[in-house]
Amino acid sequence: MGGLFKLAWLFLKIGVVFFGGGYVLIPLLHRIMVDQLRWLTLKEFLDGVALSQLTPGPLAMLATFTGFKAAGFPGAFAGTVCIFLPCTVLMLAISSHYEKMRNMELIRTILDGLLPAVVGLVAAAAWTLGKTSLVSVRDFLLLAAGLLILQFTKVSPMFVILGAAAIGLIFHFN
Amino acid sequence: MEQTQRVSLLEILKVFFFIGATGFGGGMAIVSLIERVCVHEKKWVSMDEFMHGLAFGQILGPFSLNTCTFVGYYLRGSVGGILAASAFIAPSFILVCLLSWLYFRFHELPQLQSALNGTNPIIIALIIVAALGMGRSKVKGNEAWLMALAAFAASAFFNTSALTILVAAAVWSLGWSWYRREHR
Repeated sequence: MGGLFKLAWLFLKIGVVFFGGGYVLIPLLHRIMVDQLRWLTLKEFLDGVALSQLTPGPLAMLATFTGFKAAGFPGAFAGTVCIFLPCTVLMLAISSHYEKMRNMELIRTILDGLLPAVVGLVAAAAWTLGKTSLVSVRDFLLLAAGLLILQFTKVSPMFVILGAAAIGLIFHFN
Repeated sequence: MEQTQRVSLLEILKVFFFIGATGFGGGMAIVSLIERVCVHEKKWVSMDEFMHGLAFGQILGPFSLNTCTFVGYYLRGSVGGILAASAFIAPSFILVCLLSWLYFRFHELPQLQSALNGTNPIIIALIIVAALGMGRSKVKGNEAWLMALAAFAASAFFNTSALTILVAAAVWSLGWSWYRREHR
């Protein structure tokens, strides 16, 4: 039980420092899990990164993997809850002040003014992902099909994603 | 946006669990899904509010999770926020536990990569559609276009962090509004 508590406390601390983006997390967790505590070997750590990127969740799902190795299912649960607790609490705090902040003229000017930058960031995500994963004619055909379906029909995007995953599995995309 | 009827907690649970179970690609793919479902289909939040939430979420790290928390809070307060966040993480949590168990038992990663390779182009299409929709309603006029393009270039070509870009955009928009007030 003491070990589980230590694990929870550790991930809580990591959760506090990883504001600013998921990729800060990789070097940080590597140093703590592989070099300092030796809970994971380097290969396990790298496989854990790959594994957590298979899921829809953020990169911080790495905490689930590490927790699982350290203390089984309870460890995975404690690690996940604790790493996401700080950002969720902060986000709730921001959300609870949001209505009030939005009615202050200065804040509203800033918030509405930076929306084009948010659009730019969203578009940049498509670019970054496309640069590494759009490599063949097949990919571009799927992209075109996806654009047409998602832009002009009301088909749920979840089914489009699952359909594409099935196509990838059946035809062994590599 | 006016709420005629409160959204039930069960509905929040279902929607975010479904998003968390199918949003392979993570990050912006999740955001695009939430935008599509919560802004366009269910009309739970307006585009402006959603984008404000996304901007806050990017400042606080895992923005896919944070955006879920924001929308959940907007609908049903703290309970809604925590519920949306948990429902969104649950499928990934179950998946990672399962895969970790297999991994530490057999020391091999399952062959899910080809399924993911199939979804990648669709994820990109999803994000592009979301960006187009947001752009059409929020990027108007030369100045807005300039900011959007600058943010795109900084992120796509120079790997600038979202936090830096958003802070710069905030300073930019503040400066512009002062300038316009002085030179009217």
